[in-house]
Amino acid sequence: MADSVLVIGGGIAGIQAALNLADKGIHTYIVEKLPTIGGHMALLDKTFPTNDCSICILAPKLAECSNHDLIDILAYSEVLSVEGKEGAFKVKIKRKARYIDEEKCTGCEDCARSCPIKVSNEYNLGLNMRKAIYIPFPQSVPRIATIDASVCMHFTKGKCGVCKIKCGAGAVDYDQEDEIVELEVGSIIAASGFEVFDPKEMTEYGYGVYKDVVTSMEFERILCASGPTAGRITRPSDGKTPDRIVFVQCVGSRDPKHGRPYCSSVCCMHATKEAMLVREHDEHVETCILYTDLRAAGKGFFEYAERGKKDYGIKYIRAKPGRIVRDESSGELEVWYEDTATLKVSRMKAGMVVLATALVPSRSTAKLAETLGVELDEYGFFRSPDPLLRPVDTTRPGVFATGYCESPKDIPESVAQAGAAALRASRVVAGVTA
Amino acid sequence: MADQFEPKILAFCCNWCSYAGADLAGVSRMQYPPNVRVVRVMCSGRIRPEAVFKALSNGIDGVLVLGCHIGDCHYLTGNHRTAKRMLVLEKLLDHLGVDPRRLKVDWISASEGEKFSRTITTFTEQIKKLGPANGGAHGRRG
Amino acid sequence: MSEETPKSPPRIGVFVCHCGKNIGGVVDVPSVAKFAEGLPNVVFSTDNLYTCAEDGLTCIKDAVVKHNLNRVVVASCTPRTHAPLFMSAIEEAGLNQYLFEFVNIRDQCSWVHMKEPEKATKKAMILVEMGVRKASLLEALEEKEIAVEPSALVIGGGVAGMVAALGIADHGFQVHIVEREERLGGLIGNIEKVYPVKRAASSVISDLERAVRASPMIEVHTSSTVKDAKGYVGNYDVEIQNGGASTFHRIGAIIVATGATEFKPEGMYSYGEDGRILTQLELERQMREGKVDGVKSVAMIQCVAARGEKFTYCSKMCCSVAIKNAIELKTKQPAIDVSILYNDIQMPGEALEKVYTDAREMGIKFLRFPLKARPQVVADGGLAVRFFNESLGADDELRPDLVVLSAPLVPREGAKELSRMLKVPLGQDGFFFEAHVKLRPLDFATDGVYLCGTAHGPKGLQESISQAMGAASRALIPLSNGKVRGEAAVAFADEATCIGCGNCVKVCPYVAIDRVERNGRFVAVVNSALCKACGTCVPACPSGAMTQKSFTDSQLLEMVDAVSQEEA
Repeated sequence: MADSVLVIGGGIAGIQAALNLADKGIHTYIVEKLPTIGGHMALLDKTFPTNDCSICILAPKLAECSNHDLIDILAYSEVLSVEGKEGAFKVKIKRKARYIDEEKCTGCEDCARSCPIKVSNEYNLGLNMRKAIYIPFPQSVPRIATIDASVCMHFTKGKCGVCKIKCGAGAVDYDQEDEIVELEVGSIIAASGFEVFDPKEMTEYGYGVYKDVVTSMEFERILCASGPTAGRITRPSDGKTPDRIVFVQCVGSRDPKHGRPYCSSVCCMHATKEAMLVREHDEHVETCILYTDLRAAGKGFFEYAERGKKDYGIKYIRAKPGRIVRDESSGELEVWYEDTATLKVSRMKAGMVVLATALVPSRSTAKLAETLGVELDEYGFFRSPDPLLRPVDTTRPGVFATGYCESPKDIPESVAQAGAAALRASRVVAGVTA
Repeated sequence: MADQFEPKILAFCCNWCSYAGADLAGVSRMQYPPNVRVVRVMCSGRIRPEAVFKALSNGIDGVLVLGCHIGDCHYLTGNHRTAKRMLVLEKLLDHLGVDPRRLKVDWISASEGEKFSRTITTFTEQIKKLGPANGGAHGRRG
Repeated sequence: MSEETPKSPPRIGVFVCHCGKNIGGVVDVPSVAKFAEGLPNVVFSTDNLYTCAEDGLTCIKDAVVKHNLNRVVVASCTPRTHAPLFMSAIEEAGLNQYLFEFVNIRDQCSWVHMKEPEKATKKAMILVEMGVRKASLLEALEEKEIAVEPSALVIGGGVAGMVAALGIADHGFQVHIVEREERLGGLIGNIEKVYPVKRAASSVISDLERAVRASPMIEVHTSSTVKDAKGYVGNYDVEIQNGGASTFHRIGAIIVATGATEFKPEGMYSYGEDGRILTQLELERQMREGKVDGVKSVAMIQCVAARGEKFTYCSKMCCSVAIKNAIELKTKQPAIDVSILYNDIQMPGEALEKVYTDAREMGIKFLRFPLKARPQVVADGGLAVRFFNESLGADDELRPDLVVLSAPLVPREGAKELSRMLKVPLGQDGFFFEAHVKLRPLDFATDGVYLCGTAHGPKGLQESISQAMGAASRALIPLSNGKVRGEAAVAFADEATCIGCGNCVKVCPYVAIDRVERNGRFVAVVNSALCKACGTCVPACPSGAMTQKSFTDSQLLEMVDAVSQEEA
């Protein structure tokens, strides 16, 4: 009987589950597909309803995972196959080659500074560039460089090699290969999180056509002091500060036709948060949130939204926009909407529009479910055979799911439920039956 | 000459926020004047007002007390104490013969590398303008 | 491994790192190492290319042995990432890992003064001197361990309490459930069905109760209360009272699952004036008793007394409860007219959204009103509900047979007393207040006490159950380990100097200091297993009795003095 647990996904849910287990004395692996753990929480500026700096409260947990004797982080890795049964799973993991010797890399980033190749930076949602050799963000764990071989000149053209020369620690190793490792674990926790729905197909919103229409995740990076604009609120099109920012809710959520029928749970709150941060950065910028139902039901959430209205002067209009267009002469956007209170169709000028897009199960979740041999529900979230009394169970004994990939939820709910997953997973390795 | 005067700056930084912010400034290669010497504590709540006063009357020209933003203290309420204590100290400094502008209390989070380097730069320049504090190696009053 | 502070004078080894070119490219590292040689108490000083690499660590370990070092100073990057590594290394060499000081000459020196190498070098030197002066005064430290009693107390025998108890008992620990009422089951004992799973509440309770009663590890105390709980994590002395009799138990961890109750909106919306104006729980009871069968029309009003009316918060599950009851009514009597007057429909979770859609498709009417002008209910022989209908943009009136008020969950009676007894706080809204809203929702700042269910705040049953399992998982950490390990750099009150003023007790965020009677006087005693090593108590001490290990006044003042005395 294997006495380790495998956590798949290094976001806040996966991290919390791993820490709960390891603190109890259970050896835990965290497998994460990105070069660093941290998930989406690492990319947020602040978190509602406390407006805590997200990475500031997350980084100590990342460090705890890194330093914990009983946690092994396998970042930049993927689950290939799962065999066996509850209590005795054999899992094959592909450890992708970073082309960096992990023992030697000190995280100094001399390599990235000297790399000549720039590509779109997915950690800033494409709003700026990163190098072919890079560390995703300063607080990355592990803090080790990675070479993106798909764009690195050495791999695509057989040229360059500057990073190898510049690396004082001699950590660059172009000959490194993917490694397959096999783990024996007693139970598995899937914590594969979410992906941001791409609103391009909802052409009425102009996303992908107008630069100043952004998703809330992109806007989060703009707000962030460590993001592409160093926290300055500027329009992607011309770098100017917008006079007004309009937030549009439920883009792709509660929309069975074009998106998903469910509510993504966190968008009303993060729109309020982002609007508050805008007002904190610059009180000359007006903010307006166009919403359907204001979902602020969690602890302290309604009071937070009220503060947004009263103390921060955020305007809330119950409306659904019809169209967003751009006035070419002024460069401003125009948001056409029906105000359900007055029943009038109006339009509002906006320097920027932030779309609260649906959060959907990540593509890797679908693939993971297949690998794990478990069922997903009609929306693509992990399905439990008893959602009431066994909320984190899946259709395969010994395999559990927690966090957003189980169902839409916010950070406190993810942290709490991760504990539930740890409880179920530890029962297996503790040899508890029934 | 006043413009050749290089002030001695002492910064008390808390492990979880301002010290981490200082590290981030370093990781991001943000440059700031080399006058500051950092003393790390676990929480800004550890800092005795007496220690700050002693520093300022013993040859150190400016003292920074840098903690977490109120509400974000890693130890929940430590920085609330800091805020109160330093407020009292600021009011007393004048009576004790120290220019209160030589003490600055600020809140810098672990993600505010830029704010850290800006704070050091601005404060160093301000202290430069004020000139040396009394006592200590400089041997002059002011 | 040495636990004792070396009695001999300090013999300090200094290791200055080049970190490749990261430090060495700006700071003249060999000069810094040479400078350190001349500092008091330094008997060995060297520079390394990469101190964190295998050969760097070996260099430190060898030097400790060869030069009989009893303190080590490493000047390199940042303690926040690398301190554990070096501390392990010196421990392997036989030195207590706390006889170590880290000097940051990279992130806070070479990397930020790249254009001023001379000044950066001078700064590195003074920083090393500060580190050496502190190291001279460092003591060997240990992390205090206290044993944890392998048993838990769950206060509250509702669903959350039962789930939490089962989670802990499953792992082989004794659990006591204390329930005030005669029966287990809590709040949902009053309802018919649980949505969105559409299960009978009674079957949920009976399934859980069966498992609880079948478990040899769980002892159920109904019609009982917790009279007292003295002590701290791992070591609680708990008195459970049942009628006149008390039993005493040693408890390791406590879970608060005391739940919540439905607010009765007396004096609001004409509640209490007419038997046809009910709360949702009262409606469910009447539905169960068949008393609603002749009703032709129902109007439900959401947000009663909540969201800024009497209470500031949103009670999260009233919308789903109202919609559930509306669907149940409509399913039983398809001809019944049901209107729900709402402001914002809250349906947390993906399954509930579908329930909302189903309700609309069944013909249940949803009429929106503004929060600043809430509906008015008048009992004028019949019932009139007057409100501003936002969808129409005009005043509107309904004349239903029944008015149902969706009132919020409020904390149960006794929360204040319990909060004082366990030394855990209540929030502004009267619910228990967790250690951190985002990352520690089920912990309290006080170690060993955990929280779950509606005692934490209004929520649906599914979320309560997840939380209960999560709380059990948290409580199992000290229980499974059988011990709790404290921090090393803890505070310590010198008994002789302490005047027993209690200031430190007041400022400690973790309730880790007790004011106790010793030898006829009151003194402060720090529980070093609970102390989190913040040091906030130190400046609060008027007599200088309180110190913090590894951050003592002398150590900090030595560092300050080094800067004061630095030559310009």
